[in-house]
Amino acid sequence: MSIRQPFRKLGKLAFNVGMAIFSFACVFPIIWIIYSSLKTKDEFMLNAVKLPAHPEFRNYYKAFVEGKMAHYFISSGLNSVIAVVVVVFLSFCAAYALSRFRFRFRNAIYTFFIAGMLIPVYGLLVPLFLQFKQFGLYDKFYTLIIPYIAIRLPLPIFLLESYIRSVPVELDEAAHMDGASKFYSMTRILFPICRPAIATIVILVFLDTWNEFPFSLVLVTNEAFKTLPVGLTNFYGQYTSDYTTLMAAMVLSILPVLAVYLAFYKYIIQGMTAGAVKG
Amino acid sequence: MNRSTSLKISRLGLIGLLGPSLAIYAFVMIVPLFLSFYYSLTDWMGGPTKTFIGLHNYELLLKDEDFWHSFKNNVIILILTLIVQLGLAFLLTTLFVSKTMRLKELHRTVIFFPVVLSAVVVGFVWQMIYSHDYGVLNAVLKFMGLESAIRPWLDDPKIVIYLVTAPLIWQYLGVPLMIFMSAVQGIPKDIYETCELDGCTGFKKARYITFPLIYDTIKVVMMLSISSNMLVFSHIYVMTGGGPGTSSMVLAQYAYKTSFSSMQLGYGSAVTIGMFILSFGIVILFKRLAEVRNS
Repeated sequence: MSIRQPFRKLGKLAFNVGMAIFSFACVFPIIWIIYSSLKTKDEFMLNAVKLPAHPEFRNYYKAFVEGKMAHYFISSGLNSVIAVVVVVFLSFCAAYALSRFRFRFRNAIYTFFIAGMLIPVYGLLVPLFLQFKQFGLYDKFYTLIIPYIAIRLPLPIFLLESYIRSVPVELDEAAHMDGASKFYSMTRILFPICRPAIATIVILVFLDTWNEFPFSLVLVTNEAFKTLPVGLTNFYGQYTSDYTTLMAAMVLSILPVLAVYLAFYKYIIQGMTAGAVKG
Repeated sequence: MNRSTSLKISRLGLIGLLGPSLAIYAFVMIVPLFLSFYYSLTDWMGGPTKTFIGLHNYELLLKDEDFWHSFKNNVIILILTLIVQLGLAFLLTTLFVSKTMRLKELHRTVIFFPVVLSAVVVGFVWQMIYSHDYGVLNAVLKFMGLESAIRPWLDDPKIVIYLVTAPLIWQYLGVPLMIFMSAVQGIPKDIYETCELDGCTGFKKARYITFPLIYDTIKVVMMLSISSNMLVFSHIYVMTGGGPGTSSMVLAQYAYKTSFSSMQLGYGSAVTIGMFILSFGIVILFKRLAEVRNS
């Protein structure tokens, strides 16, 4: 036993070193574009992997000002904020109705919403484009917000419905006895209780909308309405060989996501895996 | 039992609560499917006229080599993802369970991070990794003295489909991993302890305890993986646009191309419907197979 001890320790060390290398390899692509974005174009072309000798932020200035990334930032930001607010509001109302009351078609409506988690959303790309053209909704400032709200509804409704159901009905009843209206108990009592679930929803809807690409590619043509990922592809078209500037633009688009992730990764992981474990 | 009065609601109240969600949801998720089916029966090219041509588009679709080629690519991506990504996720799960592993929280956070990135960013990053002159991959090969292996990776039609699968596996590895890990946390600790007393080692624990006990979760994850992989679009749009030629074309990209590049909106709609039928078909087929194995 005493002879085997050091070997076992060595094995443990090797295992943990291996694991560290694996994890590092997992984030390396992102680390690579972050430090490469601080290089000049020539320096990058000379050696693509080396760390920058004299880090500088000129690429960022170029991306933000010349590449007009600011436009796309505003558009993505607005879409994300509106989508978050509306989705939270709509899904809370729907989840409240679905979890607190019995009525005809209650189960059918619930299944109808939840089935949306299985509908392959990007299969709707072509049909939705045609439909928006027919209804005159194509390429307006509000165009993108409509699908963004709709495709995000199922998961929040699922999360909130099960959350509200876990809150004892007696709470609502007690409030009712004290003369509170349904509106009051919904907004002042249940809503604050649901804060953890709502936090998850806010974060997930924000991330999904911020990163959204296919609908923005297809449903709008006006530059001012496009989201960041489409902005990146346009940018690539203009500065094809200018990798470092494109990298700076990508890092800019990642920063908000990274900040949100580091602050809330527990909520994010919870929310993204909730559907699968329960279903 | 009498339900208390606070749990009754007027019809108007219900409509107020549910109506807006139902309306916007149906408008975006349901109506397009029906419209799309209708357009798929016409020869619409985007102009003012469309003629009803019955199932002609579907006849064309059955004989369309590009369509089936795209489907084959989807299946390749799907199989690779199921084997490599879920296999890796399961392996990592068993490692995460072991007491030997340090800094679990850090590993978890790092491995999950790519999930929250935009598909477009991931596509660009990997395109740069594969780049002939400035890519990391060729730089690594050069460093290891394997200069003969250096090539313009994404320009090689024989291997491009495997190359575009790598980012998909990489980006979403965290999802099955986290789902498996939360399923494993539901396994009672004493099962492992009893097994250890009987002299179980790491591999046996994984094979005879972890795997069968989270088998249902694995099935769910496979279903999710199937339905998302059948519709992969953004990554490939950014990395290769389906090229060179049609060598990395997938169904969603093909539907996009027929509809928007060549404006065959009727036929593009048929492609979309075909894509839905195929992906639901695979999901149902898989469900059958998984249940048969279970019983």
